[in-house]
Amino acid sequence: MAEFKAGDQVVDIDEDGFLQEPDKWNEVVAAALGGTEGVDDLTEDHWKVVNFLRDYYLEFGVAPMIRKLCKETGFKLNVIYELFPSGPAKGACKIAGLPKPTGCV
Amino acid sequence: MSDQGHPGDRRAELKQLVELTDISADCGPLADIPLSQQIPLPPPFDKLEDEPQPTPLTDAAKEKYECELDGTIAVNIPKPESKEEEERLVKSFLSGMKKLFEEENNWIFLKPLVISAEHCAKCQTCSDSCHIYEESGGAELYRPSYRSEIFRRIYHKYIKGESEWVHGEIDLNWKAVARLIELSYRCNLCRRCAQTCPIGVDNALLAREIRKVASQEMNIQVKELHEAGSVLQQKVGSSTGMNDLVLKDNMEFIDEDTEEKTGIKVETPFDVEGADILLIHNAGEIMAWPENPGAFHTLFNAAGLSWTLSSDLAAYDGINYGVWYDDVQFARTAMLHMQAAKKLGVKKIVLGECGHAHKALTVIADRILAEGLNDIPRESCMTVLLDIVRSGKIKFDKSRNDFPVTLHDPCNMTRLMGIIQPQREIIEAIVPAERFREMAPHGVENYCCGGGSGFAIMSGHNFSEWRHRFSGRRKFRQILEAFGDEEMTKENPKYVCAPCSNCKGQIRDIISHYDAWEKAGIHYGGLVELMVNAMVDAKPDFIDWEWH
Repeated sequence: MAEFKAGDQVVDIDEDGFLQEPDKWNEVVAAALGGTEGVDDLTEDHWKVVNFLRDYYLEFGVAPMIRKLCKETGFKLNVIYELFPSGPAKGACKIAGLPKPTGCV
Repeated sequence: MSDQGHPGDRRAELKQLVELTDISADCGPLADIPLSQQIPLPPPFDKLEDEPQPTPLTDAAKEKYECELDGTIAVNIPKPESKEEEERLVKSFLSGMKKLFEEENNWIFLKPLVISAEHCAKCQTCSDSCHIYEESGGAELYRPSYRSEIFRRIYHKYIKGESEWVHGEIDLNWKAVARLIELSYRCNLCRRCAQTCPIGVDNALLAREIRKVASQEMNIQVKELHEAGSVLQQKVGSSTGMNDLVLKDNMEFIDEDTEEKTGIKVETPFDVEGADILLIHNAGEIMAWPENPGAFHTLFNAAGLSWTLSSDLAAYDGINYGVWYDDVQFARTAMLHMQAAKKLGVKKIVLGECGHAHKALTVIADRILAEGLNDIPRESCMTVLLDIVRSGKIKFDKSRNDFPVTLHDPCNMTRLMGIIQPQREIIEAIVPAERFREMAPHGVENYCCGGGSGFAIMSGHNFSEWRHRFSGRRKFRQILEAFGDEEMTKENPKYVCAPCSNCKGQIRDIISHYDAWEKAGIHYGGLVELMVNAMVDAKPDFIDWEWH
């Protein structure tokens, strides 16, 4: 575990840079985490993905299937990669404050 | 220890020549293998200088975790706070080692373990067969026998109390224990070396039993395999974190998605009592490769099979990570799988495209399940799929798979279980003969994908890079060689058929590491996807080349 500075906030992140306590997430933290994954500016399209991930996670306790993410946001996978260069799991989920995806995914 | 100055300096001079006794040395990492020591890959990836440069560990990681093996970390062993703590951990390791050799404490592997601990002809046949050793450019540290010989010396000196003069010198301190535990996670447990050993020594088993001592006796585990793996599976139902409600919601989505693609309606049945088959997927397929269960269910329906999924705890996730590191965790998950099958009263369990699930529920569970739990047979999906092809109930049009295809053999299906021909006979029926090319070698002599034994899901610190550089490199080389006569561009898409989720994850990652879709048109997927792609009754283009 390590400390991570987001504005005037300090949050804990794991070895892979994922937020340890999902309830410490807010827009400032999201923007700061974006900086670690090559996303310098969170646009409206970024937020569409991030908000879907976040809402799904809060409801089901797990990240959505990537295909579902694409269908619900209307973004094809290549667009997701354009928005989040390190991909939907490592990039988008991290910025949305989700824990690192687990299992054989 | 050497009398020629600091061991670190000497090693640098001798190009990483590590001695067995160095395992206990207070000298920093035993190896740091430069890219320049590795063998270049085939074109278009043949320039070592163009390969992604390895990232060093961060200072924060070095400060916190034991990392004196080789510049990466798999296990996250916290540094002990005192000498006393170190001593306690060494004692605990020894106590675990002792238990490995007691009948009442080692219910699964005692006999092969004793054989492997007692014997080694030091012929190094194992080294030549190991993809990690070979791809490291021959780093001593990665010889399968390096780890095994240290294990053997500890066994002789500390467990049996025998002479170091006969069996070799070893000093078991904390450095040695910490390094040995990390080193047990530099082996894919693929058992290619066990197969080639003239006297049947199983180096992979020794690595696995070291992991077991760490887990069962010292509570040291890899997070992805334990807390976020087997523990999560037993608590929530799946190592992916899916509970039964999310599972059903996802499957409903997959059913609709599959129907959209194939034009064939599919409704996944859950918890059907008295069905012939309980199909257990690796739940990672549902999350990350939904076209795989979608294809399975389409084929099973079209063939008129009586089948069901279970929504019981752990029974919709065929994974059993205990097989890699912990007998107790292994047994718990295996029991959950069998109990779900008993409850439904199915005639058999069919395992989806997951090699480790094959190993866990067939070969290993068979050794430990008590009577009453072991009476439901388990079968590989490969033979079930072959039966479907042979039955003629589904018409296939090979010309729909008119692109270069190669086949990866998952170690646990092929080397461990001898399932070689079914997948090939299936491919014969669905891929034009001139489009299929075997890897060299293949079948029981295959190489591991590089993701075996949990590596495919381990990515802390810079471990993924290690995985791509060493354990996954041989498979990538084989893939490039198999397609060697093809134009290596995106305009000529090629398919690596890897009928195992874990292998798929690893192959996906290595394709992405080398940008091999953009640069060489290499795509990957399972076997059932290729079958549905050729299914006459389904709409064409089931395989989505853009989805990678």
